[in-house]
Amino acid sequence: MPGELRVPIEGEADIVTARQKGRELAAARGLGITDQTLVATAISEVARNIVVYARRGEVVLAPVEDRGRRGVLVVARDEGPGIADPERAMRDGWSSGNSLGMGLPGAKRLMDEFELSSAVGKGTVVTMRKWVR
Amino acid sequence: MADVKLAWTSHALPHQLDVDEDEVARRKEFLEFREDDVESLKGLRDVARKYAEPVIEEFYRHILSFEETRTFFQDPHVLERVKRLQKEYFVRLTEGEYGADYVSDRLRIGAVHERVNLAPKWYLGMYSFYLRAVARRMLGAFQGEPEKAFATFLSLLKLVFLDIGLAVDTYIHAREATMRKQQEAIRELSTPVLQIRDRLLLLPIIGVIDTHRARLITDSLLRAIRDTRAKVVVMDVTGVATIDSKVANHLIQTVVAARLMGASVIVTGLSSDVAQALVGLGIDLGKLNTVGDLQGGIEEAERHLGYRVVAQADGARSA
Amino acid sequence: MPVPILKQGDVLIASMQEALTDHALLELRDRLSEQVGRFRARAVIIDVGALDVVDSFATRTIRGIAYTAKLRGARTVVVGIQPQVAFAMVQLGLTLDGVATALDLEEGLSLLRAEAHGEADAG
Repeated sequence: MPGELRVPIEGEADIVTARQKGRELAAARGLGITDQTLVATAISEVARNIVVYARRGEVVLAPVEDRGRRGVLVVARDEGPGIADPERAMRDGWSSGNSLGMGLPGAKRLMDEFELSSAVGKGTVVTMRKWVR
Repeated sequence: MADVKLAWTSHALPHQLDVDEDEVARRKEFLEFREDDVESLKGLRDVARKYAEPVIEEFYRHILSFEETRTFFQDPHVLERVKRLQKEYFVRLTEGEYGADYVSDRLRIGAVHERVNLAPKWYLGMYSFYLRAVARRMLGAFQGEPEKAFATFLSLLKLVFLDIGLAVDTYIHAREATMRKQQEAIRELSTPVLQIRDRLLLLPIIGVIDTHRARLITDSLLRAIRDTRAKVVVMDVTGVATIDSKVANHLIQTVVAARLMGASVIVTGLSSDVAQALVGLGIDLGKLNTVGDLQGGIEEAERHLGYRVVAQADGARSA
Repeated sequence: MPVPILKQGDVLIASMQEALTDHALLELRDRLSEQVGRFRARAVIIDVGALDVVDSFATRTIRGIAYTAKLRGARTVVVGIQPQVAFAMVQLGLTLDGVATALDLEEGLSLLRAEAHGEADAG
């Protein structure tokens, strides 16, 4: 069983790398093809956020386990400007064009577990998990 | 210690059950299975090699004399194979290696038993017979040293209980997995996607729709659209228990997803009361093409696909 | 490698490959816009059959392509969205409202032919 994989996000090409690696890990853990796509899409959204708003950061992928359930952990972190009001970003982030944090509520819908930690000047950390059904 | 860790991580079953080396160590502690037990079992090795054959033969004579357990060994090849494996196991009990490989093998037994439906009562009964057969031979082997024979037997008991614990745990785990699969199959059966004409699918939705089921339905429908190249789907919700705003949103999502694949959806069975209530709740039903009843919906779908239903002169209909 | 654009009569067909970068998507949009004008194309078919992920950026770009094409008098049809991708898009809340869709290239062309002959119902 491989350990964690860190994908540096420094440009848009890395978004594709991160989601491909994410899909591979999801497949290795036993997630079906639909769930693999959900994971890859969620990674695409959060990785793009890093590129657009923080310019650089990283996506960490790791296998996880909980009471016999197997899953995938995705952590997207950056040291960008941070989100002023994370709660509001989660509420209406996706509905309007270019607000910071857009795509986050969507990513949350795709994954089983989702945590957002962010503050102005403190960067952003998005932690997500998806489990085999 | 790195190699030992590697041995543990290379086996899939221990992982699924959270039986890692710490867990096994804990079980051994609870059973008070220690180094001196390992040593006393190793001292039994020659005895085990000598008696493997007769003990196993006796064991299988017993199993084959009962109808319920005989059925598992009808095939002579299977019988030969398990006899050989049992003899190996018998000797292995005294080899002194009770780590990752050993544990992995014990876990596999439980999974096999679940798969072939060998109930725990037979497995435990077999073990009991086995232990008694071994005990009788041990007294003979330790002539003049009955305390040593007894102590060795107690060590064997500890190891055997470790084995039984592992096998039973896997059996239970496998059983739960089988039941989950059966529930899944029932769920899928309850939401069939039916092809009623070329390029036309019927999706009758019945019962309670929660998020999980809504996903299953959407997933099945989208695959069916791809596999049958459907252009129109008639989604009938007459049988849906309650259509609240959550359920309505699930249905709308299903419709939107189908449309992304080029299929249009006609929703039938949505009563005007329910429709009004939903609109009152702020649900935009504008995305939905609704027709009152199923028959009307199918007729509209057929028209859309260019079919024309014509009554024949003698009253029978054909399409 | 830029996405190839094929011309079939007055229909332009762009088949997106896997792992398109954002840059390549934008470049495709500009090239399509230019070619719609140059060839007076009636329609643009965007084939996403090879894409295993269609995220919010890709969706916005596709909508952008459709909008630009419409400004120049051309219709856009998106074809080939895979079941898992359609599922993910809907979960993400992405829509292609106002853009026609079809199962695959064959269906997309069939749809355009039918419209040209004025036979089929819309949608």
